[in-house]
Amino acid sequence: MKEPTNFSDIFSKIRDLKELFQFGEKIVPIFQSLIEFMKDIVPLMEKVNKSIAESTHKMPSATNQIDSVTSATELATTEILDRVDSISNALSEIEKEMGEILEKRKEKEKISEELQKQINFTNEQKELLLKLYKNDDIDELLSVIKEKLSVLNEESYQITLALQVQDITTQQLAAVNHLIESVNNKLSSLVDDIHKAEIKEKKVDEIEVPDTAIFDPNARYDKDETRQQNVDDIIDEENRTNEIASQDEIDKLFSGE
Amino acid sequence: MDLKFLVVDDSVTMRRIVINSLKNLGYTNYVEAGDGQEALDILNNHKDINFVITDWNMPNMTGLELTKAIRGSSEFSEMPIMMVTTRGVKEDIVDALKARVNNYVVKPFTPQILKQKIDQILSTL
Repeated sequence: MKEPTNFSDIFSKIRDLKELFQFGEKIVPIFQSLIEFMKDIVPLMEKVNKSIAESTHKMPSATNQIDSVTSATELATTEILDRVDSISNALSEIEKEMGEILEKRKEKEKISEELQKQINFTNEQKELLLKLYKNDDIDELLSVIKEKLSVLNEESYQITLALQVQDITTQQLAAVNHLIESVNNKLSSLVDDIHKAEIKEKKVDEIEVPDTAIFDPNARYDKDETRQQNVDDIIDEENRTNEIASQDEIDKLFSGE
Repeated sequence: MDLKFLVVDDSVTMRRIVINSLKNLGYTNYVEAGDGQEALDILNNHKDINFVITDWNMPNMTGLELTKAIRGSSEFSEMPIMMVTTRGVKEDIVDALKARVNNYVVKPFTPQILKQKIDQILSTL
């Protein structure tokens, strides 16, 4: 036997249906916008994908270029060092020769004095002899030149020291290369994932420098003396800490050794 | 004391700079190596070496590994070792100390610092 129709239930269902239609009217434009948006975004995503793929292909040549820069600077630095060495050697030789000249002049001066003792020169002759070996300013001039040569030698040594910048920039460039290679690897795997249509949320890993890296990623050309001071402070601190913490020494103290 | 230095650095430039600095300090007796492994080979073939100056970051064998290898050998365990490196963070310095380097100089170094640190080491020998 059929149950009697409950009109209030029917009205309630009709109301629900009406609300559903009303909701449908509201939601359809949103879906339409979403479809429009997807139409726009898909080519954009394709462009991004293409762009990533292109960048990935360009990266190896970027690292090659950095390697060329490193080689070129190393070559140039070696050339500068060669020149500075040859200048420095020449200056040292001249300095040595100047020293010899000064020595010889002193010897001649002594001979002149000896000569004056042995031979009775007239005052006029004595004066002439003095002019030859004592009263001229050649000695002084030679000393000044010798001093200047020494300064030049020191300056050329300072050029040599400044070339430490080459080693430091080489390490900085190697660190940049490592960074590019790491980004390249990550982008390549992203491109692969896109091609496989398996886009997942990528965990952004930090780019790590392996222990075996032959560069220091923090290398910098910093002539600030506080850096060395910091190192010395750490060494002192560690040595002090070790002195206190040494179990052997504590044991020795307790055993009365 | 007639010192013979072993200068270890993969950078030819740095080796030349260190050697020039040593010459300026009056030390003219030296040999050089491009990495830790080469340094160990040289040490085994030049028994008269009595001072090692080494860089940290090098291929094949780093300066830290070289220090550990030297300290671990019965023959060279007391060899004076000075690290000359760009690495200036505390963790690295502590690692180097633990490996028992005798002194530590950060690049770029000055001749005064180099002399001071060498003298410090020599005064303890």
